[in-house]
Amino acid sequence: MTWLTATAPGATEFDRVFGLRPALYDDFQNFLSLFWSLRPIDPVILELCRRRVAQLLGGGAVPPIGQGSTGVSEAPPEKIAALEQWREAVAFSEGERACLAFVEKFVLQPHGVTDEDAAAVREHLSDKEMVAFTEALAVFDGFTRFRIILGIEGDD
Amino acid sequence: MAASPRIAPPAVAGGDAVQSSPLAHQPELLHAFLRLYGTLWSHGVVDHPTKEIARIRNARITDCGY
Repeated sequence: MTWLTATAPGATEFDRVFGLRPALYDDFQNFLSLFWSLRPIDPVILELCRRRVAQLLGGGAVPPIGQGSTGVSEAPPEKIAALEQWREAVAFSEGERACLAFVEKFVLQPHGVTDEDAAAVREHLSDKEMVAFTEALAVFDGFTRFRIILGIEGDD
Repeated sequence: MAASPRIAPPAVAGGDAVQSSPLAHQPELLHAFLRLYGTLWSHGVVDHPTKEIARIRNARITDCGY
């Protein structure tokens, strides 16, 4: 539970904390929902990376705001179940594996991302998709840390 | 860190440093991000100098050269 003494109304703890700044939260929700409604990258990769960032940081994942309203299904359950052991798992495609390797460096060692790492992802993503992918990682990384720092526990 | 951007901006990019960056490959996302970022800077209870110090300090800690 968050250590903040004041919270706003809301269905989830993430809502109640971020809702303390309603104009900012409205803009955040509008921005985040575009990743599902516009489908700028494969929604399965998006969902795997949203969850993987949270695993790496040891916090709750950024809520998939807008995901449910698009009718886009989440990643297959077998991939979600195998996500922590993705290197050994056979469930993942080559593109998903390149993206998951990139996620790990993005979160844990961003200056360690080499041109070879980027090229491995770009074998599977166009320039447009690469921009959306990296933006999504920035949001997932930043707002998973937001959850951790403010004590917003669990997944919403 | 790469010596130069790994993705070139789109040919039709224009405007300021952000709007003419590779982020312009996703104009709808960029527009929504700029709205969010604008609200962050122009509204709220944290004073402007504190936000600016945090912005610069974050860039230095993460050794961001852009």
